[in-house]
Amino acid sequence: MSMATPSTVRALPPSTWGRVRQSRRAADRAMKIIATGFTLLAITVLFWILGMLIVKGVGGLSIATFTQTMPGPGSEGGGLANAIVGSVVLTFLGIAVATPVGVLAGTYLAEYGKGSKLADLIRFINDILLSAPSILIGLFVYVILVEPLGGYSGWAGGVALGIIAIPVIVRTTEDMLRLVPGPLREAGSALGAPPSVVITSITWKAAKSGMVTGILLALARIAGETAPLIFTALNNSFWFSPTLLGGVSNLPVTIYQFASAPYENWQQLAWAGSLIITLSILVLSLVARRIVAGGK
Amino acid sequence: MTAVTDPMSIPAARPQRKTPKGTFDIVFRNASFGSALLVLVLLAGIMISMIIGGWPAFREMGLGFITSSVWDTQNDQYGAWPAIVGTLSTALIALLVGVPLSLGIAVFLTQLAPPWFKQPVSTTIELLAAVPSIIYGMWGLFVFVPLFAAYVQQPVSRVVEGMPIVGTIFYAASPSGLGILSAGIILAFMIIPFIASIVRDMLDQIPSVLRESAYGIGATTWEVVRHVLVPQAGVSIIGAIMLGLGRALGETMAVTFVVGNANRLSASIMDPGSTIASRIANEFNEAIGLQLNALIALGCILFFVTFVVLVIARILVARVKAF
Amino acid sequence: MLSTLELSPQTLDAAAPVRIAVKNLDFYYGEHKALKNINLDFRDRHVTALIGPSGCGKSTLLRIFNRIYSLYPEQRATGEILLDGRNIISNEVDVNELRSRVGMVFQKPTPFPMSIYDNVAFGIRLYEKPPKSELDDRVEGALRRAALWDEVKDKLKSSGMGLSGGQQQRLCIARTIAQKPEVILFDEPTSALDPISTGKIEDLLEQLKSDFTIAIVTHNMQQAARISQYTAFMYLGEVIEFAPTNTIFMNPAKKQTQDYVTGRFG
Repeated sequence: MSMATPSTVRALPPSTWGRVRQSRRAADRAMKIIATGFTLLAITVLFWILGMLIVKGVGGLSIATFTQTMPGPGSEGGGLANAIVGSVVLTFLGIAVATPVGVLAGTYLAEYGKGSKLADLIRFINDILLSAPSILIGLFVYVILVEPLGGYSGWAGGVALGIIAIPVIVRTTEDMLRLVPGPLREAGSALGAPPSVVITSITWKAAKSGMVTGILLALARIAGETAPLIFTALNNSFWFSPTLLGGVSNLPVTIYQFASAPYENWQQLAWAGSLIITLSILVLSLVARRIVAGGK
Repeated sequence: MTAVTDPMSIPAARPQRKTPKGTFDIVFRNASFGSALLVLVLLAGIMISMIIGGWPAFREMGLGFITSSVWDTQNDQYGAWPAIVGTLSTALIALLVGVPLSLGIAVFLTQLAPPWFKQPVSTTIELLAAVPSIIYGMWGLFVFVPLFAAYVQQPVSRVVEGMPIVGTIFYAASPSGLGILSAGIILAFMIIPFIASIVRDMLDQIPSVLRESAYGIGATTWEVVRHVLVPQAGVSIIGAIMLGLGRALGETMAVTFVVGNANRLSASIMDPGSTIASRIANEFNEAIGLQLNALIALGCILFFVTFVVLVIARILVARVKAF
Repeated sequence: MLSTLELSPQTLDAAAPVRIAVKNLDFYYGEHKALKNINLDFRDRHVTALIGPSGCGKSTLLRIFNRIYSLYPEQRATGEILLDGRNIISNEVDVNELRSRVGMVFQKPTPFPMSIYDNVAFGIRLYEKPPKSELDDRVEGALRRAALWDEVKDKLKSSGMGLSGGQQQRLCIARTIAQKPEVILFDEPTSALDPISTGKIEDLLEQLKSDFTIAIVTHNMQQAARISQYTAFMYLGEVIEFAPTNTIFMNPAKKQTQDYVTGRFG
């Protein structure tokens, strides 16, 4: 292919490269550096906290931590056995209270309450409760359960944790049920299944992994709650009564009481307890995420 | 069409079948409805119990409960002012520190991070929300506070001592590291995951056509964020910030560890103070009589303040999610 | 255009009784009147096709026969639909029982999140408690009838969601016929499927009509011509013409029908 050279060649217009002013480039670069720096800072804080817990907490971990009860003031050694068991009992009590209520309420919002003003209100209030300060829920349970019944109890603690968990479960249940395609429900109804059967044997099954995630997230949320327990389950240095009446020992309040105590073994145990509780919660959160990712 | 044939002549009409019992259906529906109503009952219950529990204190002190700075358990005199100021000032500091951090993180996650990097970083930021409040308290008290005292409070105090206004606000009488500012900074890290993840989702939701057309006319990343994305997500960003504010106002354990728990009001943010939540947590188990009512009355104030903030937050966040 | 339609040899039984009689039916989405004064007869063990352009109300009409519309509070129907002489849109009829007698297959396959076996047994278990061996026989029978048995007999315990689209749709048909309904409604059952799967489903429909009264909504005129004995042409919420399929496609009485079946609009 050949091209004839024209007799006159027009000159290119002057180059316009370099139109971006230096100040614009600088602002852009500064923003990128700042945004990256902020992200690094937040990540650093998380790993700093984890590092602190491992450095200070591992030393306090021993067989005794898991087998012995909490030491009295000034006494040597001791462990966290009763606090760990108490925390597990209270947390599962909370989840046992919250799961049926939360799942049913979420089901109502997603399946029955379409277009109803009341359902809209409930959804809104649930979102408020989701971020309500947990200390208020503790006070509430103190007023309705502890004061009238004349004493702290594990039951009150479980109820308080349950109330914190309910909005989490309501929200995730509703969100997950909404992801279930409508025709699946219609197909169930078209076989003559009443709504309750469609929901329990089709919709719930289709949304199962998401709903389990919600419950695990609620578990992670309440496992470390401290403030509401101060007003409800309180704490106890000994094995708590099987009736759960009176104070029930638990990790968060123990950490609170031991952390700034003047005894070194108490402080050690506070660190060990912090490590145990934080690792459990982080693992729980990561497992919950994995379930969601796997279910998709 | 031909006329309807006699329906009775239809062959193979199968026998009537028994319907499954409708009882379970009704029970299930009502149980769901009842559980949903319980959500309303809980919120109403919290409100009513706070009002009734705090009523004796409101009645005894009158308006003075809010305006008075005296908190004297010996003479049963209770004023909430220092705690209210402490709550508001720690929350404000948390926002001043936490909001820029959160926005920066959201911008990093949505605009700057390479795709393979986005998910792990997002998860890490979200895990900040999973760390229990009391652990932030431990970190604050044993790690942050000593560093803050040595590297911020003491040098700053030396510089600002005697200066007008600045000297009042930033001078620490006893540079222990504990105080309103420390509490505010710890709170900032606690609210970051909430604000950052909502803003991240909002920025992700903005149609990429919008972004691409802004880049298409030669805007830099910063200009796209500043002039296109942020205005587009504007209202919801404010909603996310309000949500963070709601968290900061009621956060208890972390603040209790680092705020210093002083009952009097100081003009300096370097000095110890207290918040509503920290005062309740501190005094509740020893409180009797009117002091108990006064603490619940504090809870009542906290309830109404956070309720208003959260209502506004949810309305703002929902408004943008809708489109 | 007309000549390209392959019309199946129509075995019209003019004496066949009417299974479903629609009389003066109106239907509303909230305030919007979507169906106007519908009158149609569906004959026993015949295939009746509902055709018409999108939005003409053919799916809406189909969804009234098993009252699936009752799931949505803002939708309502007035008039009469007689199934074996009973008005199914009156409140005396138990909708769940009605739905067990009037099965439905949807546009997209809707396998339930459970095993293939449980999918088919689901509808049976709702109304009957047959012993295990009988249940096994019913499930196998339904899967054979739906021409799926040979493909799934070795994996009855695996999830129904793992099947291909065409298999899933046949699973849904098996699930429907396992319940032994009298009527089966098909709502564009092949629109989400490839041509080979579509062919299998059409063959299946041909066999099913010996036992069931079938109503099918389709946007595919060739399909209507191939498989139905009666066809109703609908437009803007009304039945324009209802006649034996041959008549509709070869010798329609109305201009609009002719325009539609010859592809001039729609």
